[in-house]
Amino acid sequence: MKVNLMHGAGGAVFSELLGETLTKYTHNNAGGIGLEALDDGAVIPFGGQNLVFTTDSHVVKPLFFPGGDIGRIAVSGTVNDLAMMGARPIALSCAMIIEEGFDIDVLKKIVASMDEALGECGAAIVTGDTKVLERGAIDGIAINTAGVGVAEKPVRDCSLVPGDVIIVSGTIGDHGMAIMTHREGFDLGEQIRSDVAPLWPLVEAALAAGDIHAMKDPTRGGFSNAINEMAEKSGVQVRIKEESLPIRRSVKSASDLLGINPLDVANEGKVVMGVAPEDADAILAAIRSHPLGKDAAIIGVVKEGTSVILETSIGGERFIEAPIGDPVPRVC
Amino acid sequence: MRIRGQISIKGIVQGVGFRPFVFKTAHELGIQGTVRNLGSEVLVLAQGTNFETFVHCLSQGTPLSRIDSVTVTDSDEPVPAGFVILMSAEGSLSGFIPADVATCDDCIRDIFTPGGRYEGYWATSCVNCGPRYSIICGLPYDRERTRMDEFPMCGACEDEYTDPASRRHHAQTIACATCGPKLSLLRTDGTSVPGDPLHTAASLLDNGAVVAIRGLGGFHIACTAEATGRLKGTLGRPEQPLAVMATKEEIERVAIISETERKCLTGPSHPIVVLVKKDREALKGISKLHTLGCMLPYTALHHLLFRYLSQPMLVMTSANPPGYPMITNTHEACERLKGHVDYILTHNRVIQNRCDDSVVRDGKILRLSRGLAPKRERRDLGNACILGIGPELNANISIYKEGYCITSPHVGNVRNPATLAYLQETVERTACLLGAKYDVIAHDLHPQFLSTRYAHELAEETGATLMPVQHHKAHIAAATTSPCIGIAIDGVGYGEDGTVWGGEIFAGAVPDLTRVGHLEPVMMPGGDLATRYPERMLYGILPKEETAALLRARGWDATALGVLEKQVERRFNVTITSSTGRILDAAAALLGVCRERTFDGEPAQVLETTAVTGTPTLWDREFTQENERTILSTSSLLREAFSRMKNERPADIAASFQQTLATGIAEIAVMAAEEKGYKKVALSGGVAYNHAIESTIRKTIVASGNEYILNTNYPLGDGCISYGQCVWAGTTLKQVRK
Ligand SMILES: [Fe+3]
Ligand SMILES: [Mg+2]
Ligand SMILES: [Zn+2]
Ligand SMILES: [Zn+2]
Repeated sequence: MKVNLMHGAGGAVFSELLGETLTKYTHNNAGGIGLEALDDGAVIPFGGQNLVFTTDSHVVKPLFFPGGDIGRIAVSGTVNDLAMMGARPIALSCAMIIEEGFDIDVLKKIVASMDEALGECGAAIVTGDTKVLERGAIDGIAINTAGVGVAEKPVRDCSLVPGDVIIVSGTIGDHGMAIMTHREGFDLGEQIRSDVAPLWPLVEAALAAGDIHAMKDPTRGGFSNAINEMAEKSGVQVRIKEESLPIRRSVKSASDLLGINPLDVANEGKVVMGVAPEDADAILAAIRSHPLGKDAAIIGVVKEGTSVILETSIGGERFIEAPIGDPVPRVC
Repeated sequence: MRIRGQISIKGIVQGVGFRPFVFKTAHELGIQGTVRNLGSEVLVLAQGTNFETFVHCLSQGTPLSRIDSVTVTDSDEPVPAGFVILMSAEGSLSGFIPADVATCDDCIRDIFTPGGRYEGYWATSCVNCGPRYSIICGLPYDRERTRMDEFPMCGACEDEYTDPASRRHHAQTIACATCGPKLSLLRTDGTSVPGDPLHTAASLLDNGAVVAIRGLGGFHIACTAEATGRLKGTLGRPEQPLAVMATKEEIERVAIISETERKCLTGPSHPIVVLVKKDREALKGISKLHTLGCMLPYTALHHLLFRYLSQPMLVMTSANPPGYPMITNTHEACERLKGHVDYILTHNRVIQNRCDDSVVRDGKILRLSRGLAPKRERRDLGNACILGIGPELNANISIYKEGYCITSPHVGNVRNPATLAYLQETVERTACLLGAKYDVIAHDLHPQFLSTRYAHELAEETGATLMPVQHHKAHIAAATTSPCIGIAIDGVGYGEDGTVWGGEIFAGAVPDLTRVGHLEPVMMPGGDLATRYPERMLYGILPKEETAALLRARGWDATALGVLEKQVERRFNVTITSSTGRILDAAAALLGVCRERTFDGEPAQVLETTAVTGTPTLWDREFTQENERTILSTSSLLREAFSRMKNERPADIAASFQQTLATGIAEIAVMAAEEKGYKKVALSGGVAYNHAIESTIRKTIVASGNEYILNTNYPLGDGCISYGQCVWAGTTLKQVRK
């Protein structure tokens, strides 16, 4: 069997590849939380502290889009993975693979954008590597970043407990919809902007406000994938109220016109968390006090059971399923 | 001449008054012996000079029984002096779960006999009628394993139960006003309304109230024809045609009834029969189509209610949102129907197994449920026990075990947690009733179906082998396993090439079917969104400026139209499909008769209704060849329709469109039959319910000298898929073993 594009789309097909091939290391844990957990990052206890370590490679078409660019994603992606573990980002590495003929001015813009994102979360790029490949061997540029951070108390994605309240830090589906509509040239009247941003300051405020049991950033596979992973790994049921889900009007209308579920597309500046019910209001207030979290909302609760269920506004129930590759029509 | 022996009778012999029948026959013929129920067979020990006549009489059975085999063997067992009905024993549970039976004429007479024991009693039944499946907890079918166990018989009932001369001799559901389950009329807050529940409910209904009525297998919501608007409004289903329950005279008055349809209406299952209205414009508030689903009262409760009503007709719809399981318990009814109904007419007999109304049209089963299911088919599919888990929409399940395939009643659209739970429950209960431990689970090829996911979970749990079956091949397997050309025309199903199929012609014998033809693969912009808005489908097939202009003229928003055009141009989130249903949708959209689908199959059904008054002409068909497959061009068909819009009536275009499409499909089949040397053509799929399309295909097939196969024992739509999956799996396993 060969790797195909579906494998890269996240979701169930990707999980299969992951389970059967990419996590078959026998040396997979450095003493804390390792690769086996498939969490946002690894935890390495060191000198009485919890080091958190993560890496991410970034490719995106187009390189610049409303609300961001590849450089901002490259920093935010890694910083957010650290933040999802409850870690303050300290230092990042940056490896760039560049296609022959790539415009240096564009490269400058990317670096400047990365620098700006670093400034927003107090991290630094401290080491790097650059490779140039011949024309056609790569499409423009790919950026890998790795990052280390320190967590006082690491937060997992598998520790939801019945009774928890689910909070999302803002509107869902912005990044994926922005990229798609911009790339394909859809004129929707109102432009959708990506939400790409480093989340540590927001997460730091939330952590200070109460007890966060689990966190995940709904990137690839969108909110659907993230919430399903959290529910499955925690062995609980999550019930989401449809009318509480913050979705921008422009994203909703794009979704209605294109047949794309906004819950299934990537976000680059959002966090989904399960928190102790008594702390929910305080945490929500802390998140909302941050500019990136002004649309934050309580969207659901954790129950005993399995799967993620959406309670629709008309009193029905639907499963929220992790997307597998492309949606296939099923209405007869 | 034999004068004694042991007679084993296999078949549908439970819940059909078989033991009392044996008893009565023995008495008449002076036979001594015993009879006992073994689950799936009845065992008779008999002795007497009339032994052979006795065996002959037994093999005739009762009106509701179906006898598969009668075998006589020697026996030395001592015979008692008279004839005795023995306690049931646990046999092998390979057999049969009795289905619910509509109240028989004798019982109707009983409830209207002044001063009689059953006068006015809502749950009157006998050996020939009454609830069965809906109250059954275990097999063999005896009172103690039904929900009637909670109602100990009074002396008078006991007397009848044990009296061989009575029609209620060994009637497991016997009950009367003294000892049996009782009715009550509630407000939605659970408090009861004073007075006789039936009389009060009838007068409330007459005055326009919406009343939930607990029937055999679940709750209905009922109201008079005048109150339909209110009912539809509160259900949020303004467009959906609803069924009616009415007196025979009233149905005669509003609908055209053929002899076959009359038989179906009044048969033991009393299904909803979809009839053609006499006046197409009549009762539009109930059904905007040219047809109306009609049923007769089928329980004593209904008969009494209609006696007290001054209206001859009630709108009756299952109490559930579309695709969700019917409500069965009173508490849930109060909770969920609050604000939707005014009163709840209920009783205290537990509905053990939910069972929706069956629906039949033109002799074709639209929904296999109350009275028809659990359906048992005698069929050798090998030694493995197989679970067919069904598709996702209009689902049911089938279990094959030791020569019989049992299909459950209608489960619904397995798209929501409640219906998935109902599917799981149906699998567990049916397997338990049959004592089935399946070795193989056959499921749909669609990777995202919830039923597929459930199949995977079950396989992991039980160690059973999974066998994916392509949707349309399962359709053909449900029709026949003979070497043939198979036509499967329906909405959508996951194809083996990852595209969405739905207008397929196969050649071969199950499980070796080759796709030899299909409808032109066309674009579905936005996937399922194109199913909901058929005009998207129209543009996907004819992405031309003139189509855009038509949509613009109809008031499409400029942004939305621009996005649609771009989406098609860029092939963004566009699925490719050869579905027949979607082509009919597109035609409905073109003619402007349906712009949004609000219930299953709406555009195609509205198109059919539009076509009824049209005069069809056969247009040109355009075929192409690709990879040895014949493809019927549907875009050229739609283009033809478009070009006729200026000068022809929509009715004529609709009629011609259907006829040309059907002819084209049949022609591919006929060509393939000739080329491959087959003599049979089978048809399956939901589009085959369309009367005009089905009869055109039939005529074309028959005219070509081929044998035409349509399996009317199962639904033609997706209600046959679980059965087809079992057939497919069994046939595949047999072939592997060879
Ligand atoms: Fe189908
Ligand atoms: Mg990551
Ligand atoms: Zn009867
Ligand atoms: Zn009684």
